[in-house]
Amino acid sequence: MAVRAETRTPAWQRGKVASWLVTTDHKRIGILYISSALVFFLLSGLMALVFRLQLSQANADVLSPERYNELITIHGTAMVFLVAVPFLTGFANYLVPLMIGARDVAFPRLNALSYWLFFLGGAVLMLSFFASGGAAQNGWTAYPPLSVQQPGNGQDLWILSLHILTAASLAGAINFLVTIHNLRTRGMTWTRIPLFVWSIELFSWLLIAVLPVLAAGLTLLLLDRGISIGPWDIQTHFFDAAEGGAPVLYQHAFWFFGHPEVYIIVLPAFGIISEVLPVFARKPVFGYKAIAASTVAIGFFSMLVWAHHLFTVGLPISLQAFFMIASMVIAVPTGMKIFNWLATLWRGNLHFDTPMLYALGFLSIFVVGGLSGIYLAAFPIDWQVHDTYFVVAHFHYTLFGGVMFAIFAGLFYWWPKMFGRLLDERLGKWQFWLLFVGFNLAFFPQHLLGLEGMPRRIYTYADESWEGYNLASTVGSYVMGIAILVFVWNVWRTTRSGPRVGNDPWQADTLEWYTTSPPPPHNFDDVPYVTSARPLYDLRRRLREASGFRGSL
Amino acid sequence: MRAKLLFLTALLLVAALTAPSAFGGNGGFAPVTPQSPNAEGIRDSYLFVSIFVLGIFVLVEGLLIAFVVRYRRRRRARFEDGAPIHGASKLELMWTAFPVVVLFLIGAFVFVELPGIKNVPSAGASGQLEIRVTGRQYYWQYEYPNGVIAIDTMRAPAGVPVRLEVTAPDDDVIHSWWIPALGGKIDAIPGTVNETWFEAAEPGVYTGQCAELCGLEHANMLASVEVMSKDEFEAWLTQRREEQTAGTSELGEETWEGVCAKCHGLSGEGGIGPALAGSIVLADPEAVEDLVRNGRRTMPAVGSGWTSEQVEALTNYLKENPPGGG
Repeated sequence: MAVRAETRTPAWQRGKVASWLVTTDHKRIGILYISSALVFFLLSGLMALVFRLQLSQANADVLSPERYNELITIHGTAMVFLVAVPFLTGFANYLVPLMIGARDVAFPRLNALSYWLFFLGGAVLMLSFFASGGAAQNGWTAYPPLSVQQPGNGQDLWILSLHILTAASLAGAINFLVTIHNLRTRGMTWTRIPLFVWSIELFSWLLIAVLPVLAAGLTLLLLDRGISIGPWDIQTHFFDAAEGGAPVLYQHAFWFFGHPEVYIIVLPAFGIISEVLPVFARKPVFGYKAIAASTVAIGFFSMLVWAHHLFTVGLPISLQAFFMIASMVIAVPTGMKIFNWLATLWRGNLHFDTPMLYALGFLSIFVVGGLSGIYLAAFPIDWQVHDTYFVVAHFHYTLFGGVMFAIFAGLFYWWPKMFGRLLDERLGKWQFWLLFVGFNLAFFPQHLLGLEGMPRRIYTYADESWEGYNLASTVGSYVMGIAILVFVWNVWRTTRSGPRVGNDPWQADTLEWYTTSPPPPHNFDDVPYVTSARPLYDLRRRLREASGFRGSL
Repeated sequence: MRAKLLFLTALLLVAALTAPSAFGGNGGFAPVTPQSPNAEGIRDSYLFVSIFVLGIFVLVEGLLIAFVVRYRRRRRARFEDGAPIHGASKLELMWTAFPVVVLFLIGAFVFVELPGIKNVPSAGASGQLEIRVTGRQYYWQYEYPNGVIAIDTMRAPAGVPVRLEVTAPDDDVIHSWWIPALGGKIDAIPGTVNETWFEAAEPGVYTGQCAELCGLEHANMLASVEVMSKDEFEAWLTQRREEQTAGTSELGEETWEGVCAKCHGLSGEGGIGPALAGSIVLADPEAVEDLVRNGRRTMPAVGSGWTSEQVEALTNYLKENPPGGG
């Protein structure tokens, strides 16, 4: 069928550029997602380097308050919606059909629509810098009344961009769910699908559950800012206390989405780690079922913790207690994962190729982010550290040290599958160590700044005792910048001259490695019957037994 | 080799991180030294949690490093299988139960400490003081029971529980009241009145700043609490009341510095707001009143809801001390 579809492709769609624009191939769409995410990553990272310069010393004069607030707002929004989510959506696009032995996702054209909507949403957000009044200046959370009061169109475009991205993600989530539920190959039961696929299952369910709430909150925000439809001017007062509205209502809507969102991002990152560690430890993952179950548990509990972002708005103590306990409960399945991953290393045959370095780096850093979360969950302690640099440190430990490290592990691991060439290992290791050291230098001191009383989102400070940590943080951020340049150089170089490797350079266990690198448009000529969670391991064993060969293949 | 590299990096990291902490208090490894029982309760909870956090940190990172060293490939074939272990239910149950116990202990400790952090102590022999704290773009306004008004710098008596009613005007934005040495933060939300408190043992000046992004000058929305002995405080409060009635108090100067100067500069040289030095508007009390009460373009109505006493304090101050020497 795929072959027939190809012969029908009109000539104009076969060009080098055009073929990417009209593609409905999940692999090409995956690569589009990943490369767009990389571009947005470079842009938003650059923003961070600029405002880190402003914060490197007291009373610095690099940025005006307007520009500073724009940069932190777009940096945060873009890193979540245009970097973390699309990187992982890209991996999901590329890998889910291959991992479950399918030819494509269930709705390839809807998939292309998802990507192009995402592209449009990203363009709207980035171009909002040129709007009248500049880009949105109210943080990635855009709390009213402040966000309602900002003049100009930056905040409106921010809302528009998020609405578009919401539509893109919803379509994508439905597509993944239908794919996972219906297109698994023979023998691929629910206890045999790769753990990454489990994570995408929960990722999708969570998106479907919480995105509509965000969309509703954003719509109310837009109406409060006022819109004109033809002759009618509509201006509501949902969040306007002067007219009987409730400013905090928005915070509930935002965080009912916002907290699950961090798990939406982190679950697929966990999934990547669960794929990479066993391959480089030459062992099955320790406790497949426990890890899959903990993924489900985290997904469920993530919807019951949102108000831990609202501990300082004056909620009744009983509510704060509930959200503290719920937040702590989530630490249990997360802890399970950590220990299961550690046990996966136990008695393994570890080799430290770049994907493994990143996976181990992820483990060592994510633990810190998880532990600092305990302080934030305990609400009286949160009253002290809420909205300070302690929180900034916490979520960078989970989202950069956690998620971005996992994404790099995934990039180095699946790159040979996507492009048939290995990324340079030596450059990869340089990048890892630079990033690891730079990251800790940039973000560890921020815990201390927060405890010393430095709030987040301030464009300047007068207290010179904060200068030392801030300078360390800025230096660290530039070391990270260098590490990312090394990665860009690595990609640039190896697309031309990287060593070509076979179908399965890592001797991995999952189905995507069964086909060629890169795979043909229809993915597989045939798919072996799946008898366990490690189909390729089984295949190699059967081959070994059949040939009487006793060494490793 | 790799283990050495790992160790070296860790060492360097620790060195880099502890160097700046050599100067300055606890170096940020715990909340700032508490000066009030509620801040103490929070600090104690923080330290209690830290015991487990450090323990788990050492356990996990220790195991990670130990496994990396012990089970590295060495001379084994690259793709030789490790031990074929698929899991161990008993072990997994253990490390599911272990965090439950830890979290239970932490939760219990927090609930034990909670009343001391949250509840305002009942008025004892030394009485109790109530102050209304209003967060506004970009200043803090304090109202004492006898009608005394102050901006940004709060005066309070030592050894007396001070109850704060924290709010923001209906047309303003959300702010957050926070003096780290005197306890946790509480948001100042339009249309809502929140409550917090402190009881400073020692006289001194304790500083903090707005902790919720409230607009362009959020970073300069500073607050300080000047704690003085009870007698000194009462003398100040009475004197301030009399001066405020007579129009000789410092309220005008405080208002210029706290409300106007953050955007227009201390001597009216301009900042994110236009320069005011030499402007004829400043000499016209009615024009100033109209401006502060209603705002103009991007300038918020910083003085909506002010008493005429407060507006006059500002206009009188401006008449006598025209910014920039006028």
